[in-house]
Amino acid sequence: MSIYRDIATIARWEVKRSFSMMSRDVLPFAIILLILLVLATGFTAQSGLHIQDRMYTVGVDDPDVAKLLAGDARFAVYLLDPAALRSNPQAFDLIIVGGRLSGSETDRAKAAQKTLERDYAKYVNSVYNTEQDLFAAYPLWIDSQEIKAELDFLATQSGHYVGASSRSVAPVPDGDVKNIPTPSSTLSITEEELRQGLVQSNAQNTQISRYTEALSSSPTTAMGNFKTPSQISPPLPFDSIILVFVFIFPLYFTSQFFMMSIMNERIERKGEILLSTPVRSSSIILGKALPYLLGMFAICAALILYIRASPIILLPLIPVIFFFLANALLIGMLARSFKELSFLSIFFSTIATSYLFFPSIFANVHVISLISPLTLIVLTIQGSTWTVTDYLYSTSLFWLTGIVIFYIATKNFKDERLFSEKRLLSRVREFLSEILSERHPLISLFLFCAFSIPFIFMVQMMCLVLFFNLPMPYSLVLLLLFAALTEEIAKGVGIYTLYARDPGFLSWKMLVLASIATAAGFLVGEKLLLFVTLAQISDSIFGSILFLSLGALWLPFLLHCACVLIVASCLKLWGKKGFVPGLVIAMVVHCLYNLYFVMRWIG
Amino acid sequence: MKQKHLTIIAKKEFKGLFNERTILLAVLLQLFIAMFSSFLMVGLTSMYDPSSLSKYSHTQYSIGYAGNDSQMLTYLESSRDFRVFRMDLSTAVAALEQRKLAAVIYVPDTRAADPGPVKITVYTLKNDLQTAVVSVKLKDVFLKYEQDLRTVRADRLNEQIILLEIPKASGGGDFYEFVYGLLIPLLVFMPAIIASALIIDLITEEYQHETLETLISTPVTFNEMVWGKVLCCEILVPIQAGAWLILLMANGIAIQNAGLILILVMISSLILILLGTLTALHYRERTSAQFIFSTALVVVILVALALPANPLNLLTRLAVGTAAGEQWLVLGFTVCIVFVLGLLTHWYAGRIGRSHHAG
Repeated sequence: MSIYRDIATIARWEVKRSFSMMSRDVLPFAIILLILLVLATGFTAQSGLHIQDRMYTVGVDDPDVAKLLAGDARFAVYLLDPAALRSNPQAFDLIIVGGRLSGSETDRAKAAQKTLERDYAKYVNSVYNTEQDLFAAYPLWIDSQEIKAELDFLATQSGHYVGASSRSVAPVPDGDVKNIPTPSSTLSITEEELRQGLVQSNAQNTQISRYTEALSSSPTTAMGNFKTPSQISPPLPFDSIILVFVFIFPLYFTSQFFMMSIMNERIERKGEILLSTPVRSSSIILGKALPYLLGMFAICAALILYIRASPIILLPLIPVIFFFLANALLIGMLARSFKELSFLSIFFSTIATSYLFFPSIFANVHVISLISPLTLIVLTIQGSTWTVTDYLYSTSLFWLTGIVIFYIATKNFKDERLFSEKRLLSRVREFLSEILSERHPLISLFLFCAFSIPFIFMVQMMCLVLFFNLPMPYSLVLLLLFAALTEEIAKGVGIYTLYARDPGFLSWKMLVLASIATAAGFLVGEKLLLFVTLAQISDSIFGSILFLSLGALWLPFLLHCACVLIVASCLKLWGKKGFVPGLVIAMVVHCLYNLYFVMRWIG
Repeated sequence: MKQKHLTIIAKKEFKGLFNERTILLAVLLQLFIAMFSSFLMVGLTSMYDPSSLSKYSHTQYSIGYAGNDSQMLTYLESSRDFRVFRMDLSTAVAALEQRKLAAVIYVPDTRAADPGPVKITVYTLKNDLQTAVVSVKLKDVFLKYEQDLRTVRADRLNEQIILLEIPKASGGGDFYEFVYGLLIPLLVFMPAIIASALIIDLITEEYQHETLETLISTPVTFNEMVWGKVLCCEILVPIQAGAWLILLMANGIAIQNAGLILILVMISSLILILLGTLTALHYRERTSAQFIFSTALVVVILVALALPANPLNLLTRLAVGTAAGEQWLVLGFTVCIVFVLGLLTHWYAGRIGRSHHAG
């Protein structure tokens, strides 16, 4: 019971203290700024973003065309007589003489022409929209019906080839054929409603309307499923951008306060009083984190209420909140100065945001997208469902890494770590050294490696996303190198830490035993996590590189052992200087092994 | 103010930055973002302009065709992208569900000259990459058919249209607007934002670590200390922004007026740095200062973006080479703002400095 009471007390202190610190005329300014922010947003929404204004230059000889183009701020339009234009075409990206467009061969001119084509199409539509006889202007209407495929996620990867079979006879479906009613040949809405819909969709800038539509669950166009051919476009992925802004940035902001609160304890040894109380360090950390955790929940809940989305969105957000807090704690404990704190937190937030954001761009497109919890949010808002497996798949890495980081931080939350002034890397090493037991180094190494797996997976997932778009041979080669390098680093770090603590530890016998423990821990952790979550990714060719070792167990075990042995021997022979060369050699060996299997796999 | 004292302070801050290797983190960060911008280039822009997506696939897609004969059928059959099968609607949709077809089209028996619309029903798979590609290809066929129908019904149209003859585009230019109109301004202005966050850290650190008294007990005055720190942050901006420009150019993205761009970034970043300085001097505590400053930053950037001919826009136009003289006006205006902010900072720092010396 007393633990809960301790936590509650610390949490109360934390709230009180942060309020007393913030009171120094922060609140009035914050309110003023918030009002300004609302005003600025309104102003920007009205006037639009003016980054690309007057990017292109166009020379025209017809005032009507000039007026048509002047509507687009990207063009700087010059109205001149035809002779002047013809004599000096280099001065413009595009010239329009007598209704004929001609452009130079530069990239800028090509881009200008693309923009102009879109503008012209828009203009033509706006004229057609006013036609008396709408069905003469728009004779063709497309009614798009979406069918949910039976084979869902796995098929997306091979889907490219399934629909494109080389047979010349019509395919025959297996099993029963459901009767599909013949579609009526008339549109179910009136001509006027259609006209309104057309005017509306022509008036709005699709780039911007996507942002606003993303948050209202029901699309409110008057036209229903019907579209003219020029309106057909595949779903754009901008939903996730706005989601990042709406959900992730407030969370990131709040975790900054937590980070700073931890850092403040360390400035001038202010936290010494807290540490000298009989309260356990885990209670202190939990107590300090609690107000921020609740605050983040409250923010998310408020946002969800505000956009009237389903409360189920909170579920994928919980592990994200947890992960952010864990990292804020660690960064707050690691940084020596404010500068370092800033850079570490910017670094972390960039990486975390891209990890969350980039995969979710492909929310509707590719299975890779599911590695980000944001994808689940996108899917929920779109009204699709996801399963418990999907949830596990996209959030387990966040849970696991969050727990491990919290554990490391709790273990290190004491005088000599918090108030030391050492360099960043040696501090990281000390932090790790704290969780490696002196009495049972081998068991510690085993566990250390097993628990490094979620981090390795996160890094490798990142690489996967990063290299996914490169042309095929490069993406494979880079992935191969990076996957090997991250694994070797993770395996080497444990032994390096032990060696740095006590160089005498690495006798040749210990060296072999430590390598075996490391390799075993790595293998066990990898298998466990793979079987739980990553079966989907590991089916693709990319997955087969990352998680090649699913097959026979003794072969990868030997490989891991050999690689760790190389690193450890280099350490033993050349001291700390030998670590990096050892890593490089181990990486090469690892790559050769992988290459051998990939080659065989492809061949 | 003595120049010697300024450089001493700036040197001290640089030394601190290098000692902590925080600079290394900043470089790593930039590299990381550079790698991701290549992802953005292909990934995001293929979505921005989905038609570029279809270039990646050269397969023929099987399409089920149900309903009545039409010009549509001829177009589909003559297209190299599709293999068309005439099928019964229910069978075709069932085959689509099992991914044996890429799409199914139903065409009713409306004639071209009829008064009402021709309504074609298209069945596609939900949430599928292939569907995105197929619908881009189908769109071309639909547009062709629409043009046919429009020609047949032309005598029923009576509005006048300004006719433009646009030659067929020779390809390319897809990424241009994205790279020059979004990526470059953001990347080049990022160092300015980093520098303004840094100045807050440098100033509040002196207060919170209680090193301030020691520092101003030396011949260095409070004002000199503040300006020395501003100098340190300001020097970092063109170094980082220049690195970006070189990186972009090494990637084959031609950037014009690189020198002018650097000057522009240096001047505009001073606005942010001075704003940061004022906030830090006022609050003397990092949490509050960073919070207020980052909110203010969003407001400033939003307002700046909404103004025509803002520095970011100028940067874009300098980079593509269409800035026409008015850049000097924008620059001059920016310099004015910097000047006012500079005076304000100088006055405020002087006031605080006097109170320190008195107390």
